[in-house]
Amino acid sequence: MSNRVVLSDRPPRSDRPTPSPSPGGRRAPSSHRPASPRRILLNAAAVLFCLVWIFPVYWMVNTAFKPYGDILRPTPHFLPVPFSLANFTDAVSKPGFLTDLGNSLLLTLAVVLLAVGVAFFAAVGLTRFRFAGRRAYLVAVLVLQMVPLPALVIPVFLSLKSAHLLNSLLGLALTYVAVVLPFTIWTLRGFLHGIPVELEEAAMVDGANRMTVVRLVLLPLMAPGIIATSVFAFITAWNDYLFADVLMKDQGHQTLPVWLVSFSTSTGTDYGGLIAAATISALPVVVFFMLIQRRLVAGMTAGAVKD
Amino acid sequence: MAATREPRSLPYLLLLPATAVLALVLGYPLARLGVISFQDYGLRSLFTGRVGWAGPDNYLAVWRDPQLVPVLLRTAGFCAALVLGTLAIGLVVAMMMMRLGPRLRRAVTLCLIASWAMPPAAGTLVWQWLFQPVYGVANWALSRIGLFGDLTQHDWTTSPTSAFALVWLLVVWQSVPFVALTLYAGLSQIPRSYYEAAALDGAGGWTAFRVITLPFLRPILALVTILSVIWDFNVFTQIWILTQGGPNQGTTTLGIWSFTKAFSSNSFGQGAAVAVVSILLLLVLTLYYLRRLLRSGEEL
Repeated sequence: MSNRVVLSDRPPRSDRPTPSPSPGGRRAPSSHRPASPRRILLNAAAVLFCLVWIFPVYWMVNTAFKPYGDILRPTPHFLPVPFSLANFTDAVSKPGFLTDLGNSLLLTLAVVLLAVGVAFFAAVGLTRFRFAGRRAYLVAVLVLQMVPLPALVIPVFLSLKSAHLLNSLLGLALTYVAVVLPFTIWTLRGFLHGIPVELEEAAMVDGANRMTVVRLVLLPLMAPGIIATSVFAFITAWNDYLFADVLMKDQGHQTLPVWLVSFSTSTGTDYGGLIAAATISALPVVVFFMLIQRRLVAGMTAGAVKD
Repeated sequence: MAATREPRSLPYLLLLPATAVLALVLGYPLARLGVISFQDYGLRSLFTGRVGWAGPDNYLAVWRDPQLVPVLLRTAGFCAALVLGTLAIGLVVAMMMMRLGPRLRRAVTLCLIASWAMPPAAGTLVWQWLFQPVYGVANWALSRIGLFGDLTQHDWTTSPTSAFALVWLLVVWQSVPFVALTLYAGLSQIPRSYYEAAALDGAGGWTAFRVITLPFLRPILALVTILSVIWDFNVFTQIWILTQGGPNQGTTTLGIWSFTKAFSSNSFGQGAAVAVVSILLLLVLTLYYLRRLLRSGEEL
């Protein structure tokens, strides 16, 4: 089966090992020569690029750990010396922060569990059975994935309003689940596709019941796909600003990104607390991405490229 | 095949939860968007629930709005600038990564991933802080470089051009990682022997790029381009937080326009009409990709 759809969400088939060329194989021939002016120039460009690209993240962390008096200086201080946690205590003690942080955590957890669970059932249905409308369903899923979300804000708002689900975590959670489902179904389907049915049949012959087959055969083999889709659901629910802003207007029912933005407009100049709060919202995702970095890039090499 | 032993309803049962959520939260609103765009849904309807039909009035109002042409041009121009910037920088970074040693390449990857992972709202607030008048470190650094004069007092959101520049830098910073890493993945699949053969035939760097790299990369380039067009056309959060479409509606793109019509002027009908127009425009822009998707349906 050829991969006409070159989406990065097409995972490696389990029967085809991830192509990982040796480190030397990736390099262009020039890398074997001793340091030439070209090479020095290239490395300098790479270092410059790194400095520019990481700077906003570095500056965020740097600002967050500075004592307040060092933040508002016309001449910037490039290291947080003396070191201070005052901005974090300031942010955490602001009204609504802990509530909204809790909302974000609860929401994200619910979205990940619901989306991956629902998509898993759908993916099993789509790969293990032949039935009328299967192809149409898959195409519909792909097309839904392309609907521009900002255009949906108005009708989602009005629909949840008539269903009395505004300012409710349930309404927002359902919205995010729907937003991530197309990608999640598509990805899990790809992984299931790579697992031979014979494995399940062999387990059944050995006397395993259906739940045991799912638990002992399918879930372990699909772990990478489940991780990838969980990450995607996590990021969508944790990062979204637009839907949370429109659907959750009441204080105490907001999420962290909305809290951040309202904090910035209401207090104006308290950049210490604001940037510390931004750090709290960004750090889990950034650290998490760094940890799965290798898998992420390998997945792209395997999934995005084959045609 | 397991299907022979199962009740025929089982696959439909498995698909039921997903279908219910997709139909209720994506399908129904999508249809309702079309309906609302032909209704006079305003503030009163929001409270009474009573809505009248407006026929084509919303579309006519949008058509006659003097803002329409500037908004369309702005959206197209800004989207094009973002796509071009992201692709150019992404391609250069990917090609640079190919030629780096393992340690520097890892450093570049980590920097890319850090900016990729930043939540848009947090990233936008950090941007505000970087480019803050008087205390912003970016203003300070630009003034030190001296190319643009003294920028320490400069407020980037006071003119549409510099406000767009601010948003452009932010969105490019956040979107280059996906493009660069995908293109790098593509580049690393090109067999080295092709370049060696080309070098034997006396091909220089530019010729090798044109004859080997570009043709090999074309499908992936097409994919990243289409995805970038979709994402950059829909940029909302960054513009909304940084400028709210101002100054004087100077950074109002289609998405912002639809949003303010609905939620600031309470004209949900007109907002929906603008949203429908933007969906149709995006559809036209991505027709090539959609056709490929639909054709791929034959071999699923």
